[in-house]
Amino acid sequence: MDLVKWDSPAPMDVWDAFDGLRGELDRALDPFRIPSVAGLLDRTTAPAVDVLETEEEYLVMADLPGVDKRDLEVSVTGSLLSIKGDKKGERDSEKRKIFRKETWIGSFSRTIDLPAQIDAGKITAELKDGVLTVRIAKREEAKTKLITVATE
Amino acid sequence: MEVKDKNEGLRTMIPACSIAEDSGLVTVKVEMPGVPKEALEIRIEGNELSVSGNRRLDAPRGRYILKERRAEAFKKVFTLDDTISREDVDAALADGILTLKLQIKEAAKPRRIEIA
Repeated sequence: MDLVKWDSPAPMDVWDAFDGLRGELDRALDPFRIPSVAGLLDRTTAPAVDVLETEEEYLVMADLPGVDKRDLEVSVTGSLLSIKGDKKGERDSEKRKIFRKETWIGSFSRTIDLPAQIDAGKITAELKDGVLTVRIAKREEAKTKLITVATE
Repeated sequence: MEVKDKNEGLRTMIPACSIAEDSGLVTVKVEMPGVPKEALEIRIEGNELSVSGNRRLDAPRGRYILKERRAEAFKKVFTLDDTISREDVDAALADGILTLKLQIKEAAKPRRIEIA
């Protein structure tokens, strides 16, 4: 930790407080100072998720390192996709000495509101290398169609 | 001419890790979801053990509605002290977690001396 000179801002000087806050945020967001997925602004209860729309389907990809398939629950209700799970790790024992712990264990949940035109009957989920990929097909009527222009 | 990713080399992220020791065995776990074995490099140079690689997001063409995951190069450097054996390093990658197992040298282990 850095040693910071303590100075009390003049009373009623609101801007001084904002300046200090900005500096603190700049330090907190410095990518070289903290690991990207741990620390102050981490995602301990919500893994990072990508949602991608292609012509045929929606793809939801979530980073779930160290999560077992059996501890993962993927469900769809209406247009809501819910990813729930439990990340297990080694139990701490008295003999085990921990030097650093930036990773986390515990339960997590993430709910994603997908556009309404999904086909809930055509969903596949795959967990590989710690990445969950859920593919949800679009309903036939929601797919992009090319319309040929008829000429007279 | 080779076309490079616009962001390549600009940012390197530091993956999250945990280090624990249990009866002479040091276990280092580094989280890297979506990184295949081929994209990973582990090397020991002098006192430094470095884990580096490139994370790619293999996604088909499309429109991102939400994008929180990042495809970036990552690097983590650990400093090894003299008590760690350089020869007995075991590395395994499973479920997006790299597990490195390092041995503490016999000579550096605590010894219990019996009182005669």
